[in-house]
Amino acid sequence: MNLLQLENVYKRFGDFTAVSDISFSIEKGSVYGLLGPNGAGKTTTLRMIMDIIAPDAGSITFSDDRQARNFLDQIGYLPEERGLYRKMKVQDVILFIAELKGLSKQQALTEIEIWLEKMHLSEWANKRIDELSKGMAQKIQFITTVIHKPELIILDEPFSGLDPINMTLLKDLMLELRDNGSTIIFSTHVMEQVEKLCDRICLIHQGKVLLEDELRAVKRAFGKNSVEIEYVGGLEPMRDSAYIQQINDFGQYAEVKLKSPDDYRFVLQELVEKGVDVTRFELMEPTLHEIFVQSVEAHGGTVQNAE
Amino acid sequence: MPNKIVTVVKREYMTRVKSKGFIVSLFLMPVLMSGMVLLSSFLTIIEGKTEKIRKIAIVDETGEIFTQMKADIAGHSAFQHKGKLVYQLEEESVTTQDTRTALRERLNTKTLYAYLEIPKDVFENGEVRFYARTATNFAVQNALRSIISNIVRDKRFAESGYPRAEVSRLMRSVRFNTYAVKSSKAKDGEAAIESPLETGARIGLGYIFVFVLYMFVLIYGNSIMRSVLEEKTTRIVEVIISSIKPHQLLLGKLAGVCAVCLTMFAIWVVFGVLLVMNMETLLGIFGVDNLPIQLSQVIGTVKASSTEVLTYFFIYFIIGFFIYSTLYAVVGAICSSEEEAQQTAAPLTILIIVPFVLMFQLFRIPDSTLSILLSHVPFFSPILMFMRINVLMPPLWEVLLNIVVMCATVLLVTLISAKIYRVGILMYGKRPTLRQLWQWTRY
Repeated sequence: MNLLQLENVYKRFGDFTAVSDISFSIEKGSVYGLLGPNGAGKTTTLRMIMDIIAPDAGSITFSDDRQARNFLDQIGYLPEERGLYRKMKVQDVILFIAELKGLSKQQALTEIEIWLEKMHLSEWANKRIDELSKGMAQKIQFITTVIHKPELIILDEPFSGLDPINMTLLKDLMLELRDNGSTIIFSTHVMEQVEKLCDRICLIHQGKVLLEDELRAVKRAFGKNSVEIEYVGGLEPMRDSAYIQQINDFGQYAEVKLKSPDDYRFVLQELVEKGVDVTRFELMEPTLHEIFVQSVEAHGGTVQNAE
Repeated sequence: MPNKIVTVVKREYMTRVKSKGFIVSLFLMPVLMSGMVLLSSFLTIIEGKTEKIRKIAIVDETGEIFTQMKADIAGHSAFQHKGKLVYQLEEESVTTQDTRTALRERLNTKTLYAYLEIPKDVFENGEVRFYARTATNFAVQNALRSIISNIVRDKRFAESGYPRAEVSRLMRSVRFNTYAVKSSKAKDGEAAIESPLETGARIGLGYIFVFVLYMFVLIYGNSIMRSVLEEKTTRIVEVIISSIKPHQLLLGKLAGVCAVCLTMFAIWVVFGVLLVMNMETLLGIFGVDNLPIQLSQVIGTVKASSTEVLTYFFIYFIIGFFIYSTLYAVVGAICSSEEEAQQTAAPLTILIIVPFVLMFQLFRIPDSTLSILLSHVPFFSPILMFMRINVLMPPLWEVLLNIVVMCATVLLVTLISAKIYRVGILMYGKRPTLRQLWQWTRY
């Protein structure tokens, strides 16, 4: 069952087209990745889902034909750049946002206690936000995002600016929330972050959808056209192989790009014939970044801002 | 949804009322205000009276005036400080170019405070000249003028043979007092009248309220601007407007801050009323049993006019607050840093200061065409119309019309502001141009 469905959504700001004909749907209980470089239209799309801005054309519906305004309490949102009221106490800030999301004061206070306990921040409940470290403030913000047990959690660039500990914490939290039935949509421009998290992805570039599918299907479609070789000695004999497009040699292992995905057998054969001492030979899936670059080029564009 | 606006109102209200700033201004503002009143009356009292002995040279070409003058200034209050004579006269008999140069030299070296030239023909039509480094000591100048005039008159009387005392009695001016006739009727059906003291007390009361209105609109307008800016720069606004509409957030914010102001006023008014009502008892405690007639007149006026003043204050404060605060909120929404916001808010601040400054000009002639026109300029009304009501009540229809027009203006300003605000809080980077702002209102 789809929790959320976007159909032919357009948004223009003056002369600038931010989003052009975007359609996708998100299955309940899945993790959905919205990928693209900065300025691709990710934040605009997320804002339209939350009814912060209205699309010029197209429709956005939630399961059971609910409109966004009847669904807002079911959304938890973590904006791209973060902050909280600096002069307010931790507990008051969370309470404020929880009440805005429709929790009663009693419910909110119970949940706050549980969450602060979980994040090991109980003793900070009555401290002001500006007394907290950046990492602690980030944790408080996760709490404000999920305290009302939302059906849909929207995270805009959730991993940017996080320290490694909180990054792991957030990743675990996302999976835990998904397992408890929440649906998660998040945007990122760092493709590698989504590889292990997403069930389904949508690549957007200059406001248009380039590619939208299950992550596995995407990778399968693009084929495994590179191999990683670990070796002892040298890889010199392979330099002029007819099947290899490019070798990125790191001394003890090398990333080898093939001319065609099916050529890996011939490369393996050649390695044996030329007497290279191979200790590992692994077919590599293309990285999302590679897929992204290829998709953009296939649509006649160039990637300027890929990171 | 409405109870979510309440959540916003509650937060705005509680964070401010619990802040140190609120507590401090709650006590400090009345202290400062009464301090200002006390200070200005204190300054008037000590004006022109210093403890240093100041010398005034008198060039008396007649040779007949100096001795009497010296005697007269000794008994005149303008020349005394704490009962001590602080001015000293010294005589020069003739004006030559040399004495002039010498006297001016002494003025420059500050060994002489001033010098006075009394010409020979002073009894006919001669001009007395007062020279000083600054000619701003009006109390001393006026006292000198009246002393010399009296001496000259006495001399003329003596020469003419008329009896001085009799002529003085005949020439005595009539007693002249001013009363303001009010449009309201007194108990006996006559139009109520007001003595100068009562008018002063009533206008003084009104002035305090105009000042409070001005201060609060400025201070809390800025506070709203910073609050909007904080929500924008911390991006928390995005979380909030994923739950409620931007115009609801704006409304909740304004209502919350307005409630903060009204709370402070309410506390002051309650204490003020208690103070005025119990003034006699209070003074009794300090040993003042019989209230001076002036003071009881002032208290009576304050008691009588405070209901009207408070009613209009309430109306015009709400109007002024919402007009200016929404605009301050817009400034906060379209800027991205505190410095930028302060700069952008400058024209808005001027818009509040201008009517406040104009008020002092229009004060004298509250029913001139200019006063009337300016008091109907939408952004000036909260201060200028309120001032007119305090000084000289305009016809009721004019006031009601103004209130209706102002309410319409508030609505219009709020609608346009809400649209700009809605877009502004999500836009970062360069501040928009006026043309862009206009486009935003149509997104």
